[in-house]
Amino acid sequence: MADNAGTDKKELRQRRMASASKAERSYVRRTALKRRLWQFFRFLILFGIGFVILYPLLYMISCTFRESGDMTDPTVLWIPRHPTLSIIKETMDAMDFGETLKNTLILNVGCSFVQVVSCALTGYGFARFSFRGKKLLFGIVILMILVPTQVITLPLFFQFRFFGIRGVFSKNLIDTMWTMYLPAMTANGIRSGLMILIFRQFFRGLPRELEDAAYIDGCGPFMTFVRVMVPNALPAFLTVFLFSIVWYWNDYYVSTMFFHNTRTISTMLYDLDSEISLRLFGDATIKMNPREQIVWKQASCLISITPLLIMYTFLQKHFTEGIERSGLVG
Amino acid sequence: MKGEKTRKRPRLSYQRRKSLYGYGFISLWLIGTLLFFLIPLGKSIAYSFSSVSIKPGRIDMKWVGLDNYKYAVSKDPQYTDLLEDTLIETLWKTPLILIFSLFIAVVLNQKFRGRALARAVFFLPVIIATGPVYEIISGDIKSTGNTGAAQFSTMFRTDLVGDLMRDLGFYSMSEKMTSFITTVADNIFGIVWSSGIQILLFLAALQNIPPSAREAAQLEGATSWEYFWKITFPYVSPFILANMIFTVIDSFTNPMNQVMRRIMLFQTEEMNYGLSSAMTWLYFIIVAAAIGAAAAVINRFIYYEFDA
Repeated sequence: MADNAGTDKKELRQRRMASASKAERSYVRRTALKRRLWQFFRFLILFGIGFVILYPLLYMISCTFRESGDMTDPTVLWIPRHPTLSIIKETMDAMDFGETLKNTLILNVGCSFVQVVSCALTGYGFARFSFRGKKLLFGIVILMILVPTQVITLPLFFQFRFFGIRGVFSKNLIDTMWTMYLPAMTANGIRSGLMILIFRQFFRGLPRELEDAAYIDGCGPFMTFVRVMVPNALPAFLTVFLFSIVWYWNDYYVSTMFFHNTRTISTMLYDLDSEISLRLFGDATIKMNPREQIVWKQASCLISITPLLIMYTFLQKHFTEGIERSGLVG
Repeated sequence: MKGEKTRKRPRLSYQRRKSLYGYGFISLWLIGTLLFFLIPLGKSIAYSFSSVSIKPGRIDMKWVGLDNYKYAVSKDPQYTDLLEDTLIETLWKTPLILIFSLFIAVVLNQKFRGRALARAVFFLPVIIATGPVYEIISGDIKSTGNTGAAQFSTMFRTDLVGDLMRDLGFYSMSEKMTSFITTVADNIFGIVWSSGIQILLFLAALQNIPPSAREAAQLEGATSWEYFWKITFPYVSPFILANMIFTVIDSFTNPMNQVMRRIMLFQTEEMNYGLSSAMTWLYFIIVAAAIGAAAAVINRFIYYEFDA
């Protein structure tokens, strides 16, 4: 469709309309109408569903800034009558935010990074080399994706509890960082099967000429990987890294299994009720009016996802566009 | 992938060298998988066939054969019911999620102003929707005092729908209407929030429709409807399978669903590890069977452009 400059378009259209036959004119009008209708309809759908998505967030924000008394006030729907920052402060106190955040970051970002590296190595191995049993081993990777974590969590717990070789040594690794780092370092962390798959697809999609060039220049496969493949793969790395952070951050199941004393943001949310009561009234068993409690709950939710949201706003493109670029699909 | 045909060196030794490098690259994963996946997997199976007890410093296992399984199926009051419920729920939720995400992906693939914003919003649930935050959002009865999307009912503070109906003259309809609308609202919420990654995958798939096909369709004068069914759908169909598997697994392994909760109960409170392992395996086998059956059916309808 020839696309002339803006002002010309209208002129062109008018001229065309004038010279068109009656049937042509009605066809054009009909298609224009259909297009308008669709645009309107589409807007409605996107807006409506967007609302379903944003509503909880808006609710969270609104609740966070109001006093607990406002919850039972029937005139308060969205805008708080007594806006206050105290709820935020109280919740952060109860969550021990500084400490929890630090724990979460060390655990999360560190493991994510390590996991991305190990999965990339593995993915590359599966992509570019052929060796005996490759199909079987890759089948195991698929199995890793399919088998739910719950199946292996229990034995894994014991594995960490009595970590060692029978008769030689045994260490209790529960509650240490190792429970998360060891699997991550060996490409067995959270959703690692998926990551290996993504990396394999990605490396498969890169042209062989890159490696051939490196080999001709005398690079061994490992150096090739480091010097040639990785720089080409940086977008994929970033995307997988971001996803990994999100999964680790939101992980509750694995964390509670292996950590009883250290707190992460997710585990904190569950014990919030008693903590809040403790901080506010000095007694962990006081039950508040559940509606009033909502304020703190929502505040805690907001606080826990804020770091993720911030990261998302700035790096959103890498999430949504990243999957296409990673070649998982093409 | 097998052999560099133009190399002059003896193919075998070069190939073998490369194979060794291959093993080298996956060596980390091999160790990890053995330690953290395969061995626990095997142990889990062993647990499910035995009665497990913890003694200081070691674990005691006594072989009891299929007892745990029999208990789960026949004696436990809730297991089979919950299993059924979860299965049925997944059965109707999955197609809905797939259809919904395909539709949204098609919409988000068109060019319009604010598309980047729309994509950002629709992908938001993936960032948030796991674990405790999601539970609180979707309104666990204990966390908000409301159930499910009755959160929305803070907007419908009074029985708004009922009032509307009554004003319009329908009297006995109002109760059914409200409960119907509540159910729909509930499910819309659940479906929208579970579709994040599926939308992403479909979007990526849509971007991969070769422009030649699109041009051919335009030349032939295909309407949008025809275009969707004759071009978009076939190209997207391999991903329907992948997405379906992902969705089913996601919903089955969601730690918040009923069966999982029951399993967790036995695991953490009652310390009956044998039983919880058996339950988990039973659950998993059923899931695998379900996926296998569905995959076999869907595979017949997939259009493969190249035999990947």
